[in-house]
Amino acid sequence: MKFFSQSFLYDDNWSIVSLAYFLRYPNPYASHVISCDVISREQTETGTLRTTRLILKRGNMPRWFPKQFVSRAESWLVEESEVDPFGKVVHCKTRNLDNLKVMRVEELVEFRQGQEDKTIQHTEVRITSGFGWGLTKRIENYGITRFKANLQRSREGVHLILDLLRQSRLQPM
Amino acid sequence: MASSLSAECTPLKTTYDACFNSWFEGYLEPAVATSAAHRSEYSKRKAEEYQQKCGKIWEEYKACVQKAIKDNGLETVLQQARDEHPLASPAAGQQSPSSK
Repeated sequence: MKFFSQSFLYDDNWSIVSLAYFLRYPNPYASHVISCDVISREQTETGTLRTTRLILKRGNMPRWFPKQFVSRAESWLVEESEVDPFGKVVHCKTRNLDNLKVMRVEELVEFRQGQEDKTIQHTEVRITSGFGWGLTKRIENYGITRFKANLQRSREGVHLILDLLRQSRLQPM
Repeated sequence: MASSLSAECTPLKTTYDACFNSWFEGYLEPAVATSAAHRSEYSKRKAEEYQQKCGKIWEEYKACVQKAIKDNGLETVLQQARDEHPLASPAAGQQSPSSK
Protein backbone atom coordinates (compact mmCIF):
# COMPACT_ATOMS: atom_id res chain seq x y z
CA MET A 1 0.00 0.00 0.00
CA LYS A 2 1.18 3.49 -0.85
CA PHE A 3 -0.06 6.55 0.95
CA PHE A 4 0.17 10.18 -0.02
CA SER A 5 -1.32 13.31 1.50
CA GLN A 6 -1.20 16.99 0.76
CA SER A 7 -2.77 20.17 2.08
CA PHE A 8 -3.52 23.25 0.07
CA LEU A 9 -4.88 26.69 0.85
CA TYR A 10 -7.41 28.53 -1.32
CA ASP A 11 -7.68 32.30 -0.97
CA ASP A 12 -11.47 32.14 -1.19
CA ASN A 13 -13.99 31.41 1.56
CA TRP A 14 -15.38 27.96 2.29
CA SER A 15 -18.79 28.32 0.70
CA ILE A 16 -17.53 29.44 -2.71
CA VAL A 17 -14.72 26.84 -2.80
CA SER A 18 -17.18 24.09 -1.86
CA LEU A 19 -19.57 25.26 -4.56
CA ALA A 20 -16.76 25.29 -7.14
CA TYR A 21 -15.74 21.79 -6.10
CA PHE A 22 -19.28 20.52 -6.67
CA LEU A 23 -19.48 22.24 -10.05
CA ARG A 24 -16.03 21.18 -11.22
CA TYR A 25 -17.15 18.89 -14.06
CA PRO A 26 -16.78 19.60 -16.86
CA ASN A 27 -13.69 21.74 -17.09
CA PRO A 28 -10.80 21.69 -19.57
CA TYR A 29 -8.57 20.06 -16.95
CA ALA A 30 -10.97 17.14 -16.56
CA SER A 31 -11.40 15.97 -20.15
CA HIS A 32 -10.89 12.41 -18.91
CA VAL A 33 -14.29 12.54 -17.19
CA ILE A 34 -16.71 10.83 -19.57
CA SER A 35 -19.84 10.84 -17.43
CA CYS A 36 -20.92 11.94 -13.99
CA ASP A 37 -24.30 11.10 -12.43
CA VAL A 38 -25.89 11.76 -9.08
CA ILE A 39 -27.31 8.45 -7.89
CA SER A 40 -28.49 9.50 -4.46
CA ARG A 41 -28.86 12.71 -2.54
CA GLU A 42 -30.39 13.45 0.83
CA GLN A 43 -30.46 16.12 3.47
CA THR A 44 -29.74 14.56 6.86
CA GLU A 45 -31.46 15.43 10.12
CA THR A 46 -28.54 17.59 11.17
CA GLY A 47 -28.91 19.64 7.99
CA THR A 48 -25.95 18.23 6.07
CA LEU A 49 -26.22 17.20 2.44
CA ARG A 50 -25.10 13.74 1.36
CA THR A 51 -24.51 12.97 -2.29
CA THR A 52 -23.37 9.84 -4.10
CA ARG A 53 -22.11 10.22 -7.65
CA LEU A 54 -21.15 7.61 -10.20
CA ILE A 55 -18.33 8.77 -12.45
CA LEU A 56 -16.78 7.21 -15.55
CA LYS A 57 -13.20 8.23 -16.26
CA ARG A 58 -10.92 7.39 -19.12
CA GLY A 59 -8.30 5.07 -17.72
CA ASN A 60 -4.61 5.60 -18.13
CA MET A 61 -2.70 2.40 -17.73
CA PRO A 62 1.05 2.58 -18.29
CA ARG A 63 2.46 1.33 -21.57
CA TRP A 64 4.36 -1.45 -19.82
CA PHE A 65 1.20 -2.88 -18.27
CA PRO A 66 -0.03 -6.22 -19.66
CA LYS A 67 -3.22 -5.23 -21.52
CA GLN A 68 -5.01 -8.56 -21.13
CA PHE A 69 -5.50 -7.96 -17.39
CA VAL A 70 -7.55 -4.81 -17.70
CA SER A 71 -11.15 -5.42 -18.66
CA ARG A 72 -11.62 -2.02 -20.28
CA ALA A 73 -9.89 1.27 -20.79
CA GLU A 74 -12.40 3.21 -18.70
CA SER A 75 -12.90 3.07 -14.98
CA TRP A 76 -16.05 3.50 -12.85
CA LEU A 77 -15.72 5.45 -9.64
CA VAL A 78 -18.11 6.13 -6.82
CA GLU A 79 -17.85 9.44 -4.99
CA GLU A 80 -19.62 9.97 -1.67
CA SER A 81 -19.68 13.43 -0.19
CA GLU A 82 -21.14 15.18 2.80
CA VAL A 83 -21.45 18.94 3.01
CA ASP A 84 -21.90 20.45 6.45
CA PRO A 85 -22.50 24.18 5.98
CA PHE A 86 -22.88 24.76 9.74
CA GLY A 87 -19.55 23.18 10.63
CA LYS A 88 -18.09 24.53 7.37
CA VAL A 89 -16.66 21.23 6.21
CA VAL A 90 -16.94 19.03 3.13
CA HIS A 91 -15.88 15.38 3.24
CA CYS A 92 -15.54 13.53 0.00
CA LYS A 93 -14.47 9.94 -0.58
CA THR A 94 -13.85 8.42 -3.99
CA ARG A 95 -13.10 4.81 -4.92
CA ASN A 96 -12.76 2.85 -8.12
CA LEU A 97 -15.22 0.03 -8.77
CA ASP A 98 -13.39 -2.04 -11.34
CA ASN A 99 -9.91 -3.40 -11.95
CA LEU A 100 -9.64 -3.62 -8.16
CA LYS A 101 -7.07 -6.40 -8.26
CA VAL A 102 -4.78 -4.31 -10.42
CA MET A 103 -5.15 -1.15 -8.40
CA ARG A 104 -7.48 -0.03 -5.64
CA VAL A 105 -7.50 3.74 -5.23
CA GLU A 106 -9.22 5.41 -2.30
CA GLU A 107 -9.15 9.17 -2.10
CA LEU A 108 -10.34 11.35 0.76
CA VAL A 109 -10.74 15.07 0.33
CA GLU A 110 -11.72 17.55 2.98
CA PHE A 111 -12.47 21.26 2.71
CA ARG A 112 -12.43 23.29 5.89
CA GLN A 113 -12.75 26.96 6.65
CA GLY A 114 -9.34 28.32 7.59
CA GLN A 115 -8.25 31.64 9.02
CA GLU A 116 -8.81 34.97 7.24
CA ASP A 117 -11.64 33.51 5.18
CA LYS A 118 -9.36 31.08 3.40
CA THR A 119 -10.14 27.43 2.74
CA ILE A 120 -7.93 24.45 3.49
CA GLN A 121 -8.10 21.44 1.22
CA HIS A 122 -6.63 18.27 2.61
CA THR A 123 -6.26 15.27 0.30
CA GLU A 124 -5.23 11.73 1.15
CA VAL A 125 -4.89 8.77 -1.12
CA ARG A 126 -4.28 5.07 -0.52
CA ILE A 127 -3.24 2.97 -3.47
CA THR A 128 -3.13 -0.80 -3.13
CA SER A 129 -2.28 -3.29 -5.81
CA GLY A 130 -2.88 -7.00 -5.38
CA PHE A 131 -1.52 -7.79 -8.78
CA GLY A 132 1.64 -9.66 -7.89
CA TRP A 133 3.99 -10.96 -10.63
CA GLY A 134 6.62 -8.61 -9.26
CA LEU A 135 4.60 -5.66 -10.51
CA THR A 136 2.77 -4.66 -7.31
CA LYS A 137 5.28 -1.99 -6.21
CA ARG A 138 5.69 -0.65 -9.70
CA ILE A 139 1.93 -0.32 -10.16
CA GLU A 140 1.52 1.41 -6.79
CA ASN A 141 4.37 3.85 -7.54
CA TYR A 142 2.90 4.58 -10.93
CA GLY A 143 -0.49 5.21 -9.31
CA ILE A 144 0.95 7.68 -6.81
CA THR A 145 2.93 9.56 -9.45
CA ARG A 146 -0.14 9.92 -11.62
CA PHE A 147 -2.26 10.91 -8.64
CA LYS A 148 0.13 13.75 -7.78
CA ALA A 149 0.06 15.06 -11.34
CA ASN A 150 -3.75 14.78 -11.49
CA LEU A 151 -4.13 16.56 -8.16
CA GLN A 152 -2.40 19.59 -9.64
CA ARG A 153 -4.70 19.51 -12.66
CA SER A 154 -7.79 19.05 -10.55
CA ARG A 155 -6.82 22.09 -8.48
CA GLU A 156 -6.38 24.15 -11.64
CA GLY A 157 -9.86 23.01 -12.66
CA VAL A 158 -11.35 24.20 -9.36
CA HIS A 159 -9.50 27.53 -9.73
CA LEU A 160 -10.99 27.99 -13.16
CA ILE A 161 -14.53 27.36 -11.84
CA LEU A 162 -13.81 29.77 -8.96
CA ASP A 163 -12.87 32.49 -11.46
CA LEU A 164 -16.09 31.89 -13.38
CA LEU A 165 -18.17 32.05 -10.20
CA ARG A 166 -16.51 35.29 -9.11
CA GLN A 167 -17.08 36.86 -12.53
CA SER A 168 -20.74 35.85 -12.63
CA ARG A 169 -21.27 37.35 -9.17
CA LEU A 170 -19.73 40.66 -10.20
CA GLN A 171 -22.11 41.03 -13.09
CA PRO A 172 -25.51 42.51 -12.35
CA MET A 173 -28.19 39.87 -12.94
CA MET B 1 -21.91 19.51 -16.83
CA ALA B 2 -20.51 16.30 -18.05
CA SER B 3 -22.78 13.80 -19.75
CA SER B 4 -24.83 11.12 -18.09
CA LEU B 5 -23.66 7.52 -18.40
CA SER B 6 -26.58 7.02 -20.75
CA ALA B 7 -27.13 9.51 -23.60
CA GLU B 8 -30.85 9.05 -23.02
CA CYS B 9 -30.56 10.53 -19.50
CA THR B 10 -28.30 13.48 -20.40
CA PRO B 11 -31.13 15.99 -21.03
CA LEU B 12 -32.71 15.06 -17.67
CA LYS B 13 -29.32 15.28 -15.98
CA THR B 14 -28.65 18.72 -17.45
CA THR B 15 -32.00 20.05 -16.24
CA TYR B 16 -31.61 18.47 -12.82
CA ASP B 17 -28.01 19.70 -12.36
CA ALA B 18 -29.02 23.25 -13.27
CA CYS B 19 -31.85 23.10 -10.74
CA PHE B 20 -29.66 21.63 -8.01
CA ASN B 21 -26.76 24.02 -8.63
CA SER B 22 -29.00 27.03 -8.35
CA TRP B 23 -30.57 25.66 -5.15
CA PHE B 24 -27.17 24.68 -3.74
CA GLU B 25 -25.68 28.12 -4.31
CA GLY B 26 -28.62 29.67 -2.46
CA TYR B 27 -28.29 27.07 0.30
CA LEU B 28 -24.58 27.28 1.15
CA GLU B 29 -23.88 30.92 1.88
CA PRO B 30 -27.00 31.68 3.96
CA ALA B 31 -26.50 28.36 5.81
CA VAL B 32 -23.00 29.42 6.83
CA ALA B 33 -24.43 32.68 8.18
CA THR B 34 -27.38 31.08 10.01
CA SER B 35 -27.14 31.14 13.79
CA ALA B 36 -27.23 27.86 15.72
CA ALA B 37 -30.76 28.53 16.98
CA HIS B 38 -32.20 28.81 13.47
CA ARG B 39 -30.34 25.97 11.75
CA SER B 40 -32.94 23.26 11.96
CA GLU B 41 -35.66 25.63 10.77
CA TYR B 42 -33.39 26.80 7.94
CA SER B 43 -32.58 23.22 6.87
CA LYS B 44 -36.23 22.27 6.88
CA ARG B 45 -37.21 25.29 4.80
CA LYS B 46 -34.42 24.63 2.30
CA ALA B 47 -35.34 20.93 2.06
CA GLU B 48 -38.92 21.90 1.23
CA GLU B 49 -37.73 24.43 -1.33
CA TYR B 50 -35.52 21.78 -2.96
CA GLN B 51 -38.37 19.31 -3.08
CA GLN B 52 -40.66 21.87 -4.61
CA LYS B 53 -38.18 23.11 -7.22
CA CYS B 54 -36.15 20.03 -8.12
CA GLY B 55 -38.14 17.10 -6.70
CA LYS B 56 -39.99 16.19 -9.88
CA ILE B 57 -37.02 16.38 -12.25
CA TRP B 58 -34.93 14.47 -9.70
CA GLU B 59 -37.39 11.55 -9.70
CA GLU B 60 -37.35 11.42 -13.51
CA TYR B 61 -33.56 11.66 -13.73
CA LYS B 62 -33.06 9.10 -10.95
CA ALA B 63 -35.37 6.58 -12.66
CA CYS B 64 -33.47 7.01 -15.94
CA VAL B 65 -30.05 6.58 -14.31
CA GLN B 66 -31.17 3.58 -12.26
CA LYS B 67 -32.29 1.86 -15.45
CA ALA B 68 -28.97 2.72 -17.13
CA ILE B 69 -27.06 1.32 -14.15
CA LYS B 70 -29.00 -1.95 -14.47
CA ASP B 71 -28.47 -2.06 -18.23
CA ASN B 72 -24.72 -1.60 -17.70
CA GLY B 73 -24.62 -4.40 -15.12
CA LEU B 74 -23.31 -2.03 -12.46
CA GLU B 75 -25.99 -2.58 -9.86
CA THR B 76 -24.29 -5.27 -7.79
CA VAL B 77 -20.80 -3.82 -7.75
CA LEU B 78 -22.17 -0.40 -6.84
CA GLN B 79 -24.30 -1.73 -4.00
CA GLN B 80 -21.36 -3.73 -2.65
CA ALA B 81 -19.08 -0.70 -2.68
CA ARG B 82 -21.62 1.44 -0.87
CA ASP B 83 -22.37 -1.22 1.75
CA GLU B 84 -18.73 -1.99 2.44
CA HIS B 85 -17.46 1.52 2.96
CA PRO B 86 -20.16 4.09 3.53
CA LEU B 87 -18.90 7.62 4.00
CA ALA B 88 -18.32 8.25 7.68
CA SER B 89 -20.91 10.33 9.50
CA PRO B 90 -19.82 13.91 10.33
CA ALA B 91 -18.96 12.84 13.88
CA ALA B 92 -16.74 10.00 12.68
CA GLY B 93 -15.36 12.28 9.99
CA GLN B 94 -13.88 14.47 12.71
CA GLN B 95 -11.26 11.78 13.20
CA SER B 96 -9.58 12.47 9.89
CA PRO B 97 -5.89 13.31 10.35
CA SER B 98 -6.12 16.95 9.32
CA SER B 99 -8.48 17.75 12.16
CA LYS B 100 -6.58 16.02 14.96
